Amino acid sequence: MSVAKPLPHDAAALHVTGAARYVDDIPTPKGTLHIAFALSDVAHGRLNGLDLTAARAAQGVHGVWSGDDISPMPDCSPSVHDEPLLCTGEVQFLGMPLCMIVADSHLNARRAAALVRADITPAQAILSIEDAMAAKSWFDGGPRVYARGDPDPALKAAPHRLTGAIEMGAQEHFYLEGQAALALPQEGGDMVVHSSTQHPTEVQHKVAHALGVPMHAVRVEVRRMGGGFGGKESQANALAIACAIAAARTGRPCKMRYDRDDDFMVTGKRHDARVAYEVGFDDDGRLLGVRFTHFVRCGWAQDLSLPVADRAMLHADNAYFLPAVEITSYRLRTHTQSATAFRGFGGPQGMLGIERVIEHVAHHLARDPLAVRRVNFYDEAGGASPPGPPRDISEPKRNTTHYGQEVSDFCLGGLVADLEDRAGYGARREAVDAWNAREPILKRGLGLTPVKFGISFTLTHLNQAGALVHVYQDGSVHLNHGGTEMGQGLFQKVAQVAAHRFGVGLEAIKITATDTGKVPNTSATAASSGSDLNGMAVQVACDKIKAAIVDWLGDPQARFVDGMVIAKGEARPFAEVVNAAYQARVPLSATGFYKTPDIAWDRDKGQGRPFYYFAYGAALTEVVVDTLTGENRILRTDIVHDVGASLNPALDVGQIEGGFVQGAGWLTMEELVWDDAGRLRTHAPSTYKIPAASDRPAEFNVHLWDGANREDTVYRSKAVGEPPFMLGMSALMALSDAVAACGDRFPALDAPATPERLLAAIEAVRA
Amino acid sequence: MYNFDVVTPNTIAEAAAAMAGDEAQALGGGQTLIPTLKQRLASPNTLVSLSGVSEMQGITKSGDTLRIGGATTHHAVASDGSYPGLSGLAGQIGDPAVRNRGTIGGSLANNDPAACYPAAALASGATIITNTREIAADDYFQGMFETALEEGEIITAVSFPIPQAANYQKFVQPASRFALVGVFVAKYASGVRVAVTGASNDGVFRWTEAEEALSRDFSAAALEGLSVSEDDMISDLHGTARYRAHLIKVVTARAVTAAS
Ligand SMILES: Cc1cc2nc3c(=O)[nH]c(=O)nc-3n(C[C@H](O)[C@H](O)[C@H](O)COP(=O)(O)OP(=O)(O)OC[C@H]3O[C@@H](n4cnc5c(N)ncnc54)[C@H](O)[C@@H]3O)c2cc1C
Repeated sequence: MSVAKPLPHDAAALHVTGAARYVDDIPTPKGTLHIAFALSDVAHGRLNGLDLTAARAAQGVHGVWSGDDISPMPDCSPSVHDEPLLCTGEVQFLGMPLCMIVADSHLNARRAAALVRADITPAQAILSIEDAMAAKSWFDGGPRVYARGDPDPALKAAPHRLTGAIEMGAQEHFYLEGQAALALPQEGGDMVVHSSTQHPTEVQHKVAHALGVPMHAVRVEVRRMGGGFGGKESQANALAIACAIAAARTGRPCKMRYDRDDDFMVTGKRHDARVAYEVGFDDDGRLLGVRFTHFVRCGWAQDLSLPVADRAMLHADNAYFLPAVEITSYRLRTHTQSATAFRGFGGPQGMLGIERVIEHVAHHLARDPLAVRRVNFYDEAGGASPPGPPRDISEPKRNTTHYGQEVSDFCLGGLVADLEDRAGYGARREAVDAWNAREPILKRGLGLTPVKFGISFTLTHLNQAGALVHVYQDGSVHLNHGGTEMGQGLFQKVAQVAAHRFGVGLEAIKITATDTGKVPNTSATAASSGSDLNGMAVQVACDKIKAAIVDWLGDPQARFVDGMVIAKGEARPFAEVVNAAYQARVPLSATGFYKTPDIAWDRDKGQGRPFYYFAYGAALTEVVVDTLTGENRILRTDIVHDVGASLNPALDVGQIEGGFVQGAGWLTMEELVWDDAGRLRTHAPSTYKIPAASDRPAEFNVHLWDGANREDTVYRSKAVGEPPFMLGMSALMALSDAVAACGDRFPALDAPATPERLLAAIEAVRA
Repeated sequence: MYNFDVVTPNTIAEAAAAMAGDEAQALGGGQTLIPTLKQRLASPNTLVSLSGVSEMQGITKSGDTLRIGGATTHHAVASDGSYPGLSGLAGQIGDPAVRNRGTIGGSLANNDPAACYPAAALASGATIITNTREIAADDYFQGMFETALEEGEIITAVSFPIPQAANYQKFVQPASRFALVGVFVAKYASGVRVAVTGASNDGVFRWTEAEEALSRDFSAAALEGLSVSEDDMISDLHGTARYRAHLIKVVTARAVTAAS
């Protein structure tokens, strides 16, 4: 039994000893050249020309190429071909690559880049939400609206009505391994690319396009990334393309990695957003009508902004039934870095909107927010354990989302009850209230927020995966699939599936680098779908090989367990059976293919079943705030999270802990600051603070909810990559609760809730 | 890096002679200077390394005075303990690597507006001793990155009168952990001195109203009616002038409470 075991990450020992190889660690062939970009220092304008004389003359420089030297200019966009590799005339953001330097070392390339002089006629830059709205600068042809019913009559008739807005900041991915690529030219114009990417097929596609060759001439390999978080779904394209075209031109291997500051300045981040709301509700806090307006800052290129903003709309309900709701989403084009995928992919922004609404409603009614959450939950699914409270069957069902998907697996009633119980919510609520009544300076706060997150790519065709499995004649197994490893433990989970299918130990399974030459046409490892899709594809491949062996053995009841194959009443070692099968000319290699069933989505109507299932979780966080300064600390966090039947509880708990910390970081301390010229002022760890180990909750309890996936996923597990990120919302709500203890007004706390912002909120509730 | 010479004098006299050379610059722990050179914000021809000058090393206490050699590391001061408030400050500078290399002379010569040592020197009424003269702290600090040092002058030692009570409180900018606001409070028989770093456009400064109030009554309560004007405060991505002005009072109160 290797499935469900809490095994460590397959490369854990390599990670901690430094032996794990990342792109920059791959020994490069002699003569490898290195690339750096020279960047624009103007946010918007016209590029009149570049003075490259000094850069071309600089030490070690082999070539300096600008828009004048490369035609046609390769495109880096994952969507609408609006991302030229280098500026071709219009400067679109401060940090836009203007030209590329090819030199004999990384440092020489960077030094030469600093010598490039650009002649740019500046133009008015569109930076803020206000700028973009005034200029009608948006993608998607204008706002997108999804609705259920008409919220107006409900808002008018509601006993209570509130309006408000919450601002939420952007977030830098801060993968520890920065973006990197290495291109190795082959005979006949072929290209091999090592890329730190979550999407090898996309890199293959974009590189082939840039080189003007078929995809078969390009092979992309990814052994692992040092973190991705969505930041390497489309952002890796530019480096791989730059390396490939330089390698093709020079005939020499070419490598590129961004210095951390450049990585900040060039690459996209999480979309910052404003969610404005109007809500009508009854005396119990039951929501009757809600109108949301999402203002999403997308940056200069479309990138993945449309599906990101869509997902924000699809998660505007989070865990709550909204009887009448309208969501209007503006995807604003600004002269800043192109905002991109980031763990949660818009879900966090949408969900934070409704969580803020709940807090506002609860404050208005002077009720515990948890009670308001409960009355608005979707109906608990039948058969959920423990069962939800009995429901009056004469009431209409509250189990369909605003986009028409039935929520058939809702378990938050029971899950939150379990969390309350484990974490002692009731007693702690009283203790916190008593503390706050007693203590004038340090105020405590509690936040309990649920998560319901839809699993599947909303672009339906992406929900497919392939695998390639070989069994060698000695019984060892070579495993390959389309998913990429970025530290999340995908490879280990999938290897556990393979080991389980063959009934062998994990030592018999060789995990291998993702390779477009082995498994083609893969989707990005994204949308939390890595294990769901690739685990299933591997299962299919393994079962094909098994079926061939079983067929040859002539015993349909044959079993593969504990390293043995039991057939016709006889148990023989797997390796022995495999060797015999080989000699009997049984095929021992197979591909596997999987596509997620039962999903359908009409994006224009905003209706369908975009998600195969939902993943659930809830977190209770307790904080303390110094009301003199706004300094704060997370004292304790308790989480109950639903991963279905876990493929690997150790890895899942790791993802949940990390997701929470990253989510709390987004909402409390990570602050990206652009100045009035559009220059990102926070571009290094000296100015941008991500949570460290010491920022995690002092007491941190994570419990896996006991329940199998109702859908037929791989071993009934559930996706775990993104959902826990949104558990971090509990930290913001806990801070808001602590601020609320300082005065009578509602603390309309924006994120990130930095100490200065908290102090301002405290002053505001006291005013 | 570019090419430059490094000389390693053994005495102050040798160091001073070397500093008289063309485009020579003192090298303490290099924690500030080396990154500056890498970015070519400075490009001296010769670095005069002070770490081998034994006269500039070490900490000696005589009576109520603590004398710290100009090339003494933050780590050495942090471990000394004869002036607990000062050792406490040194222990909060940077990280272990910075504390094992960085020196008091380098920090005071640099006079970064967010550096810690200037607050201690000013609040203690320290004397900055150079190869040519002695400068009172009140005359030494002359604004952001500006000091009374002449070209080529070397800080050979700093002499601190040890107070009855003292404490340094540092409100850190969370990313760099430099002071957003740092306050050093020192209580002497002659009165209380309060110096603030990190906050002002003019660099470290004394908060004289607080000094007067605390000299009358050394308690956090004595600060209650006071406020700091935000006029000359730094406003940047890490905090507004208003926030810094507000913090000065809170942080001063913390230092007073910790010292009493
Ligand atoms: C990561 C990091 C974190 C840091 N955090 C803090 C912090 O929290 N608080 C803080 O206060 N500082 C901090 N620092 C700065 C640190 O304390 C430096 O060591 C100090 O500012 C400079 O000391 P140094 O000996 O390294 O000087 P150097 O870098 O060698 O020199 C700095 C300047 O002083 C001159 N100089 C050096 N010694 C003398 C001398 N004896 N006489 C005359 N001129 C001299 C040099 O010519 C140069 O101009 C940090 C530095 C780093 C790298």
